[in-house]
Amino acid sequence: MPTVILLDVSLSMSRPVPTTDIENHTRFTLATAAINTFLDYLCVHAKLEYVSLVTFSSVYEVAVPFTREFDNIRVKLPQLEEGDKTCIETALHGVNQIILNEWGYQTPVQIILVTDGSSGVGAIGRNRIIQALPLPPTYPGKIHVLPVVSPHDSSLQHAMPLYQKIVDLASNTTNNSNANLMRGAIYCPDQLNIPGVIAAMTRLCEQHYQEFWCTLKCGQLETRVQLFPAPQPASHEGLSASYTLSNQLHVIGFLQQQDLGTPIALSKHLVIPQAQVGSNSATRENYGSKTPTKEGSSTEGTTTEDDMSDPSKIPNFCVLLHGALKVEGMSAIVQLGSEWWGTLSAWCEVSRARRSCLLLSILRPGASAAPWLGPLDQLGPSEENSTSTDSFPVRSWRSYSGGGSGCAWARPHALLADVQKVLRHARKLPDKTQHLYKELNRLRRAAISLGFAELLTCVGSALERECTTLPTNAPPECALQLAHAAAALRDPRTAFDIKHTLQPLATNFTVTSMSH
Amino acid sequence: MFPTNHKTIFVLDHTPYFGISSDNPIDFDVSKSRGPGYVPLPPVCKSLWTCSVEAAVEYCRIVWDLFPEGKLVRFVVSDSSAHILNTWALTQQNLTHILNGLCLVGPVRRGAGGDVVGLCAAIEGLAEPSPTQSTRPPSERHFQNRGRIICITSARDDDSIRSLAEIALNTLVQQNKKAATPQPPTTTDASTTTQNLVVHYCHLVIINVTPEKADTRVNNQQLTEMGGGLMGVEVIVCRASALASLLGRLVLPHYRLAITTVTGIPMKEEQNASSSANYDVEIIHSAEAHAGLRATQTAQEATESVVLRWWTPRGAEGGAGGCSGPLWRVTPADVASRPSACLVNFLLNGRSVTLEMPRKGGGRSASHVLAAQGGELWIGALGGRTPYDDPPALSEGAGGRVTDYRIKEFGALMQQNKLHPLRGAGANARSRARLQRLTTYWPLTISSTLIFNLGSVMEPLTRLVVQESLTEDEVDTCRGVLLSLLGMESRHEFPAAQLPSNLRGKSSGRREEQWRQVWGELEALIRAHSGSPAHRALLRTLIECRSHNNHGAEGDSSRATVIRATTDSPLSPVGAGNGNGNNDVWAPRNVLDALLGAPRPPRRPDFAGRMAAGNRVATLYPHLQQDVETPH
Repeated sequence: MPTVILLDVSLSMSRPVPTTDIENHTRFTLATAAINTFLDYLCVHAKLEYVSLVTFSSVYEVAVPFTREFDNIRVKLPQLEEGDKTCIETALHGVNQIILNEWGYQTPVQIILVTDGSSGVGAIGRNRIIQALPLPPTYPGKIHVLPVVSPHDSSLQHAMPLYQKIVDLASNTTNNSNANLMRGAIYCPDQLNIPGVIAAMTRLCEQHYQEFWCTLKCGQLETRVQLFPAPQPASHEGLSASYTLSNQLHVIGFLQQQDLGTPIALSKHLVIPQAQVGSNSATRENYGSKTPTKEGSSTEGTTTEDDMSDPSKIPNFCVLLHGALKVEGMSAIVQLGSEWWGTLSAWCEVSRARRSCLLLSILRPGASAAPWLGPLDQLGPSEENSTSTDSFPVRSWRSYSGGGSGCAWARPHALLADVQKVLRHARKLPDKTQHLYKELNRLRRAAISLGFAELLTCVGSALERECTTLPTNAPPECALQLAHAAAALRDPRTAFDIKHTLQPLATNFTVTSMSH
Repeated sequence: MFPTNHKTIFVLDHTPYFGISSDNPIDFDVSKSRGPGYVPLPPVCKSLWTCSVEAAVEYCRIVWDLFPEGKLVRFVVSDSSAHILNTWALTQQNLTHILNGLCLVGPVRRGAGGDVVGLCAAIEGLAEPSPTQSTRPPSERHFQNRGRIICITSARDDDSIRSLAEIALNTLVQQNKKAATPQPPTTTDASTTTQNLVVHYCHLVIINVTPEKADTRVNNQQLTEMGGGLMGVEVIVCRASALASLLGRLVLPHYRLAITTVTGIPMKEEQNASSSANYDVEIIHSAEAHAGLRATQTAQEATESVVLRWWTPRGAEGGAGGCSGPLWRVTPADVASRPSACLVNFLLNGRSVTLEMPRKGGGRSASHVLAAQGGELWIGALGGRTPYDDPPALSEGAGGRVTDYRIKEFGALMQQNKLHPLRGAGANARSRARLQRLTTYWPLTISSTLIFNLGSVMEPLTRLVVQESLTEDEVDTCRGVLLSLLGMESRHEFPAAQLPSNLRGKSSGRREEQWRQVWGELEALIRAHSGSPAHRALLRTLIECRSHNNHGAEGDSSRATVIRATTDSPLSPVGAGNGNGNNDVWAPRNVLDALLGAPRPPRRPDFAGRMAAGNRVATLYPHLQQDVETPH
């Protein structure tokens, strides 16, 4: 998750730390040490994380915009200028803007608030700040607080309710589209010195910046992969349970990209293959051992030693899978846990078409995350001997016309259109006889379900009127059919019987009249 | 768990009062008069009943269009008794079922009755578990059985409404008491009886309907809690003619929905095909789709409806694939309107469209995408960076510099393992089992295998052997391949001679080595699939071939280790021609083989010559020479 380091640069941060050391530390230099610890941790565990440094006092300022070049932040830290007073709510306002502009409202974000453990105001002022906090944010996120203060400081006791409120509110996001995140926390150093703040920051890192490793399996082929950003457990109101990603992802099978479409994803993650350190020998056994002689393996030994030193030269299933997915234009369906699926595809940014990577989409838990594929738990192989399998997309029965007709009659224009349709057919008899009765039956059906007897009477009269305005040269069948339909609509025995279907007047009248 | 909108019940008043006219005339003679003697039709008024049915049905259409599962609606029609039109079962959660039920109920008839009986039936309905609820134990920590009852009725005054609500509350309390007491042991043994659930909260919306000009002494009432938060009652007074738009408005907060007006959709007129006019279409979807817009808006702006401009698609656009976040279903607010139908058809035909936020200062910014997938319409939000952008190059990671992956072959494997929509359980497991089987021996790179590069020489065998079972003919075909290989080897041909020229250089090594690799790989491949008797028969042939050329005796220790798990599993039927058992007879096992191999029951006493020879190679026919010599 992208991270904002929100660093307090108010005047109170430059208070010296009481120390027995020769070195003179201020709260600010301690904060710097903590931030450097954080960046060191990311360098090892989460190189791909985006971090921004925002400073605040009574105003806020983006010192370093979001970057993966952590050194930019390290260099900037000693150059920061002191401000005036701590003003947390303004700072949070600013951070909200920065995050929304950069990441939108769908990307979970972490904020690490590094401050000096004093709210800068009295109890009333503090409560006023709590009221004015621009939280919860509209994006999913969590806020951690790292007060650079001695745990026994009285100002900390005073500021604690404020910090707690910030942490609580931040997790209480109004944005429901993303999974609930683990809550943020307050990390107080045990003592006010360098080791103290470093220990506090390390605790924070270990709890919230864990990398996520798992095994990607496709039958007996497998590889260790890292997912970035680390997936979060999925749980929200709509789900009846909480879902946590298992550490084994099983490929179930494959689909053409156009069949797959875009299922409802909760989040997307890069799949980064890990060098096969532990299982290296096993891999070799699997594929190398088919050169059974001792000479064979020894000649190969030279190359393998070479390979061992460079993981990029050891075949990795992940790279093969990516290549094949790309060439075939396919995606893999992956089982993430019980009743939970994801998709693996080759993906590249539009702007860098050549740099392609493997992307895991974590779908909404449950079998219905891609309704056009049918229930995901029922995706299976085609039987080798049977050819008649259903194909994609599994069509839904959705018609977007209001379940036939009638339900949309709440809007007068819809009712008018349906009645006009009947009358149009009535004017084009005898050619449209079948159409007229089809439409009449449709209209009747809708009217019966709505208990709309008045409509049938009215349409009956309209048909009679059409009868009277027939041109003189009209075939006699027209008048007969119109009269028949009008009477049928008003027949008290059958008009409201849903099982009854209006039939055209069965007559050979036309034939006889013609022949005479 | 289980929000209030999981279960909704409509109670429709079907008493004689609802047979009266809504006094809102609809004129059908909109077209201009057609000359003299053309008698205009009298305008038609819907009854209160028709108004309430069509409004409730429209509410349902929106819910079911957007939530094909998980949001359930039931109908209870109340007159002298309660007519329950559907249950919580998924098969009865559709408009066709409801409309059929309404046909049977028919128009309002004379007779007594009221809304109370229906309301009580509805409260009982809330206690019945929905299909998803019955899959979970009610003792679960977050199990909340909540629901909403929308009662469309007409009361005399506020007092009658109040007493209606009180009756509902009393029924609810009584019923909860009954549900909370454990069932008597006589009924619990019958597993078919469904235990009624305690209702934790009921949102009762009473809509008081009146004809156009009638006075009413019922007043609107904000949501009020009753029974200590057990029930929330809301009263809304409404003219029958406005009922549909009222419910169309209420459905939004009930399901957290929002309306987007898509503006400026260019459409050709039938009469005037050369020009196009612009139309607006209102669509309904989850309110979450607007979260991004709301995030940057002030409170004032947020109350306004969202208008997004149609961005005429250019050529092949990305469709919904451009959204990095979730998608939400969309349904038109007015299904019957022509512009709605045009938009729906445009999307269902596979086109997608981008919507943009109209900006005062000019400049365009795409905000949403509309697209159809699987015959349904979806909206997705665009914009925002993704935390995974600028990914590290695969070529610099693990395995990135290997250039001879068997990509084409893996592509073929993927095609072979395409998924299909099946019916019934276990489909996923079958597919996984199949992948498991097909990847048992699957070298990742071209340089690590010979047999898969040999093409026509090997072809039917490598294709057939991965099947679950082999017919007699197929075994014979495979045998033929093995024998022809044997022939090639005895003619001292290089197996690599069969390789495509670009690969030939890579597999260097002596001829014997290459053949050893071929036989070794073949054995690994066949062993990996030796689940069926036919496979085992083939394996025996292979081992015969190998031993014929004395390869088997070389006893490569690492060879068998991976493969053994599949062949020597305790599940392999004993005596069904165990490959290694045969191996025993033909060639001695080396120490590692013997240690790793599963103990097997001795099938027959070992060859006497070998027993005598101990660890040395047993001599065949030791007395032969003697026998020949003696007659002399």
